[in-house]
Amino acid sequence: MTTETAPADRIVLPGGEMLAWSDLPEGRAVTTGTLAALAATVVPAGASVLVAGPHDPALLDRLAHAEVTCLLRGYPDGVTLAARAARVVVGGPTGLADGELFDVVIAGAGLDTVESVEGARLGWGGVLARLTRALRPGGTLLLWLENPMGLRRFVDTDAWYARRDDTAWSISGVLDTDHPANREQLDVRLAEAGLRPRGCFAAYTDAGARALIDADELTRGTTSGLFDAVLHDACANGFATTVLQDPARLAVDALHAGLGSALAPGWVVVAAKEPAAGPADDVPPAALPVALLETGPGGDVLEVVADPQGWRWRATATDRSATPAAPFATREAAHRDLAALDGRPVPEGRLLRTLLLDAALRRDLDGLRRLLRGYAAWLTGQAGPDGQLGGAVALATVDNVLVADGGYTLLDPSWQATSPLSPEVVLARGLRRFATTLVTGGYAHPWPSALDVAGLTVVLAGVAGHDLDRATVTAAVDIEAAVTAAVRGLDNEGRGVLLSELRSVEPTDPPAGTRSFQQLREAWLRQREELSRLTALLKWTEELLTSRERALRRAEVTLNLLNGSVSYRVGKLAITPARLARRGARAAKRRLRDALATKPQERQ
Amino acid sequence: MHHANHFYGHAHVLARYAGLGDGHPPRINGYVQHGWNIGDGLAPGHPYAERTPSLLWSEQTRRRAWSVGRRNVAVIGAPFAYLLAMRPDDPPAEQREGTIWYPFHGWEGQHVHGDHKKLIALIRETEPGPVTVCLYWHEYGMRTVRRLYENAGFRVICHGYRGHWWKNTDPYFLDKQLIELRRHRRVASNRLTSAIFYGIAAGCEPAVYGDPMVLANEDPTFGGTARIRRQWPELHGPAVDLPTAAAIARDELGLDHRCTPAELRELLGWANLQEEPVDD
Repeated sequence: MTTETAPADRIVLPGGEMLAWSDLPEGRAVTTGTLAALAATVVPAGASVLVAGPHDPALLDRLAHAEVTCLLRGYPDGVTLAARAARVVVGGPTGLADGELFDVVIAGAGLDTVESVEGARLGWGGVLARLTRALRPGGTLLLWLENPMGLRRFVDTDAWYARRDDTAWSISGVLDTDHPANREQLDVRLAEAGLRPRGCFAAYTDAGARALIDADELTRGTTSGLFDAVLHDACANGFATTVLQDPARLAVDALHAGLGSALAPGWVVVAAKEPAAGPADDVPPAALPVALLETGPGGDVLEVVADPQGWRWRATATDRSATPAAPFATREAAHRDLAALDGRPVPEGRLLRTLLLDAALRRDLDGLRRLLRGYAAWLTGQAGPDGQLGGAVALATVDNVLVADGGYTLLDPSWQATSPLSPEVVLARGLRRFATTLVTGGYAHPWPSALDVAGLTVVLAGVAGHDLDRATVTAAVDIEAAVTAAVRGLDNEGRGVLLSELRSVEPTDPPAGTRSFQQLREAWLRQREELSRLTALLKWTEELLTSRERALRRAEVTLNLLNGSVSYRVGKLAITPARLARRGARAAKRRLRDALATKPQERQ
Repeated sequence: MHHANHFYGHAHVLARYAGLGDGHPPRINGYVQHGWNIGDGLAPGHPYAERTPSLLWSEQTRRRAWSVGRRNVAVIGAPFAYLLAMRPDDPPAEQREGTIWYPFHGWEGQHVHGDHKKLIALIRETEPGPVTVCLYWHEYGMRTVRRLYENAGFRVICHGYRGHWWKNTDPYFLDKQLIELRRHRRVASNRLTSAIFYGIAAGCEPAVYGDPMVLANEDPTFGGTARIRRQWPELHGPAVDLPTAAAIARDELGLDHRCTPAELRELLGWANLQEEPVDD
């Protein structure tokens, strides 16, 4: 059992501690699942590990098989972590005892956070040298480095050189040559320190990365649907509430340009210290995965591992997802089966969403028709004997479907629909999601702006060869809310809010979630264009109305003129008896019909 | 001007250095750190207007102040550093003898707990030569305390009154202290304080030993004496390594951050004075 009361004998204060300082966010768990999983991979059983800098307590829990020493600058953090570590040293990097060696050193929050305000500044290079000195020959260093020219720089509303927060007592940016600013510089610095990189991962989106992807694979795999989906998801949720531009768009574009690693917000490097002279270690180090991805509401970490047949999924369920389901969980529209994913090959191909966006931008209607018809046919072709779609394919949306050689596959089939759905609703949900991305994202497309989201969905379905009605689209919105609520782990209230947001989305709205200045401006331009359209329409209608009113008045004048003439009056006098006679005849006919009616009760 | 800027005649020293003469110093646009401390450089409990510049002694204090939320923090070095620049060899420190010992003091509102008699025995045991005990004016005025040290055969002095609310400030407090320090070979105290750093900068060998005499109601925010001993262990003990001590004192007094007179006038808001000179 862990308690907040620290065992005092485990906390060492060598001087240089910050007594009231905390780097661990209050009341919020940092998402460092991927880093913890990677750390667990590189830490052999029984190893002595130095965890330098602030880390999520969950990372220490994953290192239960090792003897962990924490090096922190903030005393309150030491108290928080003391119960989870064999020893906690609170002080600057100079607080480490000389001659003490570790098998693994983990600096997952970077080297800057290792330094205290107290004592002499060592700088990035000085801290690296100190930590390397604490590594035994052949030992492993796991290090996170922020990329000063990474995505964060391009989307941040705050200038990096004007930071005002309490950690900014010193700002080490790209101008500081002591700080490596790209992978090559990092490799050089590691080599100078006597370290050989074993692997380098692009870390999206920060030190508590949601995704760690092998940097070389990311650079090579420019059209990988897996990387496309992963970068998009990590960036869509991994930034502040207000940004300059859509980080997910930027990340996927960078991927396609081969810059997915170069523009990553940071890197995590696994490096080995040169072994001592003598016979080499017989035990080869554990192979590193291709990618580690934190997904789902429980923070499950999915790994992609390479084997001779290709890439495979490796699923590690976290403790959180193993907890018993809440009472309402049985009513969830979707559930996750990670075990079904474990060991399955990772499909190759391009992400359907990206292909559709590209075709829409190029106004390639033939391409759109081919892609959408293929998608619809692939969906309906998997319907059971009852005509319904069940399991994972019932949740197949354009952001989870890969296309390769005209064939369609689900990227991550771990999420399953709880009850079967009609193929029309599944198609409508997939297309409405895409329609929402297309219009709220401000993408150019071949259809008129006057279409609302449901209208565009029906049009897309038509291109896919299906004649959907709006009622099906409405049903798809309800399913969308229920499935998204399950995937995000929302409660009933959150699900209600989500549903009303989904129902009310308009083409002139910016995308939901993170607000980006660029997309807000685009939304404003769309609103302005829509306003221009409506103003022009109103003006045209006014003019038409005016001209028709004028014509009506002319007709009335003519009528009045005719009413006053002698011939009109004589004519009217002449036909009056005939009019009265016809009225009397009609009344007599009605009375006769009533009298002859067969069902008297109906008269009541 | 915050009244603490006048403590120990700090504002007077800075005004003299800035070329404004010996008169009443003009208002300073900011708070000058008035003593070595392990917090944000400002005295706990004093009221301060937010974002008014803090003019601090050292880079380490500036980092610490920023980390606890202070902004507009600048390093100018200690007023003592300016005094050293004005009096680099005045008086010449040729005849150094014995030890100047500063028993730790609190200020008027604080009450020191501790045993002066035990301290006196320890000083006699440790110090090789004659001892001058410098008492804070508050204790100097307490006959019983003063007698204790006098009866032990120590010379008992007081550098003067640091002043309070601009009243009775001794503008030559620091000068007197510098003169006394240069007469002694060693400087010692039971706590690491400003006086020890001043002594090191004035060429004395430092020593910190004995019961640190904890203050009643001492503010533990920044860790108190325990933290001082953890962070500067090199400066504690009856004999310490002089080059190490000199380097630390250089950092803590910000000797390398001393401004030029014109620079200081700008930083203190003295470049375009509107006030009429006032005689003190």
